Amino acid sequence: MYISGIGIVFTRGRGIDSFEKALKEGWIEPSRTGSIPAYRVGQETLTDASLTKKMRRADRFSRMAVLSAVDACRDSGINVNERAELGIVLATAFGPHATTFSFIDDILDYGDTNVSPTKFSNSVHNAAASYVSAILENRGPTVTITQFKFAFQNALILAGSWIAEGRCDHVLCGCADELGTVMEYACKMKLNIAKEGKINPFAFSDTPVSVPGEGSVFIMLSKEKGLNNYGKATETSFPRNITGNPDLFVIDADGMSANETGYRDIIDYGSLIAGYSPVFGSMLTGSAFNFAAAALMLKNQIAYNCVFQDNPFGAKLCDETSAKNLNEIYCIKICRPEIKTIIKLQK
Amino acid sequence: MKAVISGIGIISAAGFNLEQNLEALKNGKRNGGPVSAFSTILPYPVFEVNSLPEKCAEEGMRTRSLAFTALNEALDDAGLQAPLSGFRTGVCIGTTVASQLNDISFYTAFRKSGNADLKPVNLFLKGNLAESVACSLNASGPSVTVVNACSSGTDAIGIALSWLKTGLCDIAIAGGADEINRVPLCGFGSLGILSNSLCAPFDKNRSGLNLGEGAGILIIEREDFYIKRCGKPSLYLSGYGSFADAYHLTAPRPDGTGLESAIRKALSDAGVLQADICFVNAHGTGTLDNDKVEGSVLSRVFGNKIKFLSTKGYTGHTLGGAGGIEAVYTAAALKEGWIPSNAGFECKDDNIPITPVTENTDIKGSFALSTSLAFGGNNSAIVIERA
Repeated sequence: MYISGIGIVFTRGRGIDSFEKALKEGWIEPSRTGSIPAYRVGQETLTDASLTKKMRRADRFSRMAVLSAVDACRDSGINVNERAELGIVLATAFGPHATTFSFIDDILDYGDTNVSPTKFSNSVHNAAASYVSAILENRGPTVTITQFKFAFQNALILAGSWIAEGRCDHVLCGCADELGTVMEYACKMKLNIAKEGKINPFAFSDTPVSVPGEGSVFIMLSKEKGLNNYGKATETSFPRNITGNPDLFVIDADGMSANETGYRDIIDYGSLIAGYSPVFGSMLTGSAFNFAAAALMLKNQIAYNCVFQDNPFGAKLCDETSAKNLNEIYCIKICRPEIKTIIKLQK
Repeated sequence: MKAVISGIGIISAAGFNLEQNLEALKNGKRNGGPVSAFSTILPYPVFEVNSLPEKCAEEGMRTRSLAFTALNEALDDAGLQAPLSGFRTGVCIGTTVASQLNDISFYTAFRKSGNADLKPVNLFLKGNLAESVACSLNASGPSVTVVNACSSGTDAIGIALSWLKTGLCDIAIAGGADEINRVPLCGFGSLGILSNSLCAPFDKNRSGLNLGEGAGILIIEREDFYIKRCGKPSLYLSGYGSFADAYHLTAPRPDGTGLESAIRKALSDAGVLQADICFVNAHGTGTLDNDKVEGSVLSRVFGNKIKFLSTKGYTGHTLGGAGGIEAVYTAAALKEGWIPSNAGFECKDDNIPITPVTENTDIKGSFALSTSLAFGGNNSAIVIERA
């Protein structure tokens, strides 16, 4: 399936141009406004005058999803509201948990009978996808899924199934996750937070460090090559072993897994290795951001410099932003050595 | 490619397995009553599962326990045993509550001190339904927990069908599970759609829904794979359709066109005509809006003689579990040749052109439809076929 549009909301703004700029700029200091250093999405990023009325009741999680989905549509040039054949798949690890806790605040403060129906309806996981379908006036199948390990990969598989069986001509496939106060606490207690704010993707460590992030990415996937084209997603699979020699591996190492030593195996393939988690932060749905980076590289035929190059195992890292002949990129996520996924992208 | 339903399993307030469920439905037994799982001042009756089979009961993971109870029955029915590592197996299960970290005790402690015991967080991280089922079965295919509110179970089954059709797996475990929880009870209460009495789907005097809990799981296989493994199939999952209302977060589109499109898509996906459907297991929550829209759509698509019912009078509305539970009932009814009476129905509503079955009714025919409508404007339908 063809990648015909990308929309993104992340710590440094909104839109594929902002993302490309961030990939070129490299690392910036995470925000330190909460209990841990984190890549948070600013409130100013989540306002859009053209959507104010339609998003007036939407929470932060839904806003992130809506803005990235709308941008992916615009980027693709596809007029979605004329097409019933557009599907929507939104994947998330934690959903709109901040709204859930805000709803529980109401229960604790005002009792079981005096809670807000608006908060409740926004706390449901599929509220965000529902806003997306309503704003795009799209009537096609709309599904929200939740996973911890491979949320984006499973969303891509579903999008591919819908396109392959002719259920849809296009699928808006994306991820969203937010970093609320409770999630910050859970991250602080359960993760090895990088105090100096630097994720180290190429340490391939058994005690990796993380800097939690938040945001949303939507990808417009199409059966046919469209006006805009980033390349093709040719396969998403869960192989025991990685085979093939792509021009570039993009790895999801970001400190969200307890052990990243499994990535050491890909050094032997001799391909160039990159990973961009220091640009957007550590997230269970971070694969979608790395996928967006890979698609952008295929389109532009530019490999972006990896931010941190602490490289104890001598991996062949992408160490400068430069023009490169890129025909094939594999996006790899390894949770444990025996649990891994590959997304294959081609020019 | 056809998809065989090779096993079904269920747990609900109506019983711990399929046999008990069908017995309750046959006898019109309704096990609704006050909430016992937690304390609340809300007066609404619910449909709770009284106790879980010991081998599946895990403290703090009620939805997962319900799912595993139904899963074990379905696997037995299909003649399969864990692990399924020798097969290409996908797992697709719908839920709502299990996807949310909404432990009130944990949050109360966190609010007070900024500190709280992480046990509920750890259980939550272990409790993603599809991931935990896939892990327990050593399933190597795709795994997805569907969180499409009240259509989650039906969508999960439809997604499994897509996987099988596109060759992603040979076996799919699909369905839905959900537990009674204080957060959605308060939420549905705030929306003003809970009934103070036992629900009465499609009745003139219906006053809202009752929440319920349970799980319904189907084992679905590619026909060629199943025939090699077992022989002649008896049930098929034949079609799936899903359309969005693109209208409102909590209310269905009044013209029902989203649901109508979903039903028509499911029929065309199955390659059948309206006249081929011998009954519809409707979503039928017992709310004013849902039943009015759904009744009108069913009448428009199938005419006024269609046999239909809602089984929520026996189970309550089990949210993410509903699509799974109702698919199990639909499959069992096709196999057994009868459908139960629509519990709670007494008076015809003049705003609904059709009337549900009011007694246990024999059915003749090979195809049945099960529908789900959801928050967010999701409408989904599946077609099940008796071989």
